[in-house]
Amino acid sequence: MGLRAGKRRIWLKMLSASLLRRRSRVIAALAAITIGATVLSGMLSVYWDIPRQLEREFRSYGANLVLVPSGEVGVMGLRAMRRAASLLPADRVIGVTPYRYETLSINRQPFTAAGTYLDEARRTNPYWRLEGEWPASDEEMLMGADAAGHIGAAPGTRVRVSGRGRNNRPFAGEMTISGLVRSGGPEDAMLFMEMSMLESLTGTRGEANLVDISVAGSEGELRKMADASRESVTSVTPRLLRRVVGSETAVLAKLRYLVFLVTVVALALIFICVATGMLTSVMERSREIGLKKALGADNAAIMGEFLGEGAVLGIAGGLLGSFAGYFFAQLIGISVFGRSAAFEPLTIPAAVAVSVLTTALAALPPVRRAADIEPAVVLRGE
Amino acid sequence: MGESGPDNILELIGVTMDYGQVKALNDVSMTVRRGEWLSIMGPSGSGKTTMMNIVGCLDRPTSGRVILDGEEISRLGGRALTTIRRDKIGLIFQQFHLAPYLTAVENVMLAQYYHSLPDEEEAMAALSRVGLSERAGHLPSQLSGGEQQRVCIARALINHPMLILADEPTGNLDEANEHMVLDIFRQLHSGGSAIIVVTHAHDVGARAERVVMLEHGRIAGIVEGRGIHGHRHDDAHA
Ligand SMILES: Nc1ncnc2c1ncn2[C@@H]1O[C@H](COP(=O)(O)OP(=O)(O)OP(=O)(O)O)[C@@H](O)[C@H]1O
Ligand SMILES: [Mg+2]
Repeated sequence: MGLRAGKRRIWLKMLSASLLRRRSRVIAALAAITIGATVLSGMLSVYWDIPRQLEREFRSYGANLVLVPSGEVGVMGLRAMRRAASLLPADRVIGVTPYRYETLSINRQPFTAAGTYLDEARRTNPYWRLEGEWPASDEEMLMGADAAGHIGAAPGTRVRVSGRGRNNRPFAGEMTISGLVRSGGPEDAMLFMEMSMLESLTGTRGEANLVDISVAGSEGELRKMADASRESVTSVTPRLLRRVVGSETAVLAKLRYLVFLVTVVALALIFICVATGMLTSVMERSREIGLKKALGADNAAIMGEFLGEGAVLGIAGGLLGSFAGYFFAQLIGISVFGRSAAFEPLTIPAAVAVSVLTTALAALPPVRRAADIEPAVVLRGE
Repeated sequence: MGESGPDNILELIGVTMDYGQVKALNDVSMTVRRGEWLSIMGPSGSGKTTMMNIVGCLDRPTSGRVILDGEEISRLGGRALTTIRRDKIGLIFQQFHLAPYLTAVENVMLAQYYHSLPDEEEAMAALSRVGLSERAGHLPSQLSGGEQQRVCIARALINHPMLILADEPTGNLDEANEHMVLDIFRQLHSGGSAIIVVTHAHDVGARAERVVMLEHGRIAGIVEGRGIHGHRHDDAHA
C-alpha cells in the first residue's frame, strides 16, 4: 500500500524542510553538537586507553607485588616461585625478578650480594640510574653507588669477592664492576650479579629469598591475584606493596575525574545551544505549529516532530563528533600524555547515544513550549 | 431556538467569551441544522472569529454550552477537542495558512497525515474538485491567492467533515475567484455538508440559507432564506 509511504513522504518533507529552511540555525546547532561529541568521544578514548597505558607505565616504576618464603625458612624454591608467578595473568605481568641474597666480602668489607636474572631486574627496575654498563657476562656485576664509594670502586674496577657458602665452605673469585647503581633505596649499598654466578660461588641452587613482581592492575585486582597465589602455593607468601599501588590508583582516579568534568562541560554546551536554537525555532514557527494543531495534530505529534529533528541532529553530530574525536584523542594523548590513544570502536555508539540523549533532553523545554501554543491565538494574527 | 436533537449539527446556548474586559461574545444562542449553509455577518470586532474558534474546537467559551453533533464540547479538554476538530470539522482561514514548503497536494495530504494516513489519490481527487489538479505539484508561492484558497478548501474537505467553517474565505479574492469558491461551497452544500461562512460581503452572505447578524458579541438578528440583497444591515465598513 502507498499509504504508509505517503506518511513517510510528508514526514520526511517536513523534517527536511525544517532542517534546510533554517539552515544557519541548524548548522549552528549541529556544530555545537559536533563539538560536544568530539570532546565526548575524545575524552572517552582518553578515559579508556590512557589510564591503561599509564597503569603499565606506573608498574614499571618498580615492583608492586613481592613473594616471600612462608614460615621461618627464609628461602623458597624457584620452582614454587615460578608456579606462584604463573598464576598471574600473563598479559599483565611486566617482570618477575627473584633475588637470592648472600653476604660477600670485598676488601674485607661485608656487602649484601643479590643473585638475580639481570635482564628481568632491568625490566622491573627501570628507574635505576646506572653509571657504566649492565653486565655483559657472568663475571661482571653491578655495585650500588654507596657501596662502591666505600671501597673506591668505579665502572671497570676488578675486585676479589670472598665469603662462606653452603656448609660454611669458603669461596673466592675475581669479578669486574661493569656499572654503578643509584636508586635512592637499599640497592645503593648492594651488589647485583647473575643468579648462576652467585650459585656457583656459594654452591646453592634453585633458591630465592624474595621475588619482585611488577604487574599491571588496580589495587583490587592485585589483591585478588595475591589471594589466588596464596591459596594454591603455600610455600610462598605474596605481599602487596600497598603504598605505591594506592597512590597510583589515586592519580588515575583524578585523571578520570578530570575527563568526566570536561565531558560534562561539553554536554552542557550541547544542551544550551540546542535548547536556545530550538526555542527560537519554535517561536518562529508558532504559526505553522498552530496550523498543524488546527488540522488535528495532537501534542504528541508536534513533540514527536521536534524530537525527531533533535534526534537527526544528535545522530549527525554524534557521528561527526566521534570521527573528529579520534583525532582529538590523539592530540590530547600526544600533547598531554606523550602517547597516542588506541582507537576504541565503542566510542562511536557511545558518543552518538549520548549526543542523541542530550539533544532530546535539550529539546524538551522548547517542545513543551510548542505544545503550549494555542492555534486560536496564532492563527488569528495577520 | 433551543431545540436540540438529531436535526441540529450545532447548538450554542448562552455562549459568552470574555477577553479580560472585552466581551467578544455575550450570551449567544443559536442552532445550525445538519447540511445547512449559514452565514455570519457583522462589523469588525463583533465576535465572528471568536465564535468560529469556539465552534471549531480551537477555543473554549468562558461560559455557556456548545453542543456539536450531539456532544457537549464546551468543557472538553485539549486532547478531546483536537480529536473532534480532526474528525468533524473542516477549517478554512482568511489568511490561507498553507505550509510554504509543501506542494498543493502535499498540503492537502497534511490534513490526512494528522487525521489518519495520507492518500495521494484522494488528495488529488479533492484538488480536482476545486479545479486545481493541474497545479498539484506547485508550492503555495507559485499559486495565486484564489488558487491557494482553493487548496485550503480541498484540505478542509479531505477528511469528510460534517461541518465546514470558513472565516472570510473570499476576503482576499477577486470576483472571479470568489465565484469559484462559492461554487465549490454550493457543491459541498448540495453534497450534504453543513457550512458556516463568516463574511463581510453581502453577496457572499446572501448565498446562505440563513444569515446571523452579530453586533458587539450579541446576535442582532437572523435573516431566514436567500436574497438579503437590499436588506439593509450595517457591516464592517462603518
Ligand atoms: N486573544 C484576544 N485577547 C483579547 N481580546 C481579543 C482576543 N481575541 C479577540 N479579542 C477581541 O474580541 C473581540 C472580537 O474579536 P473577533 O476577532 O471575534 O472579531 P471579528 O468579528 O472576527 O472581527 P473581524 O471582522 O475584524 O475579523 C474584538 O474586540 C477583539 O479585539
Ligand atoms: Mg475575524
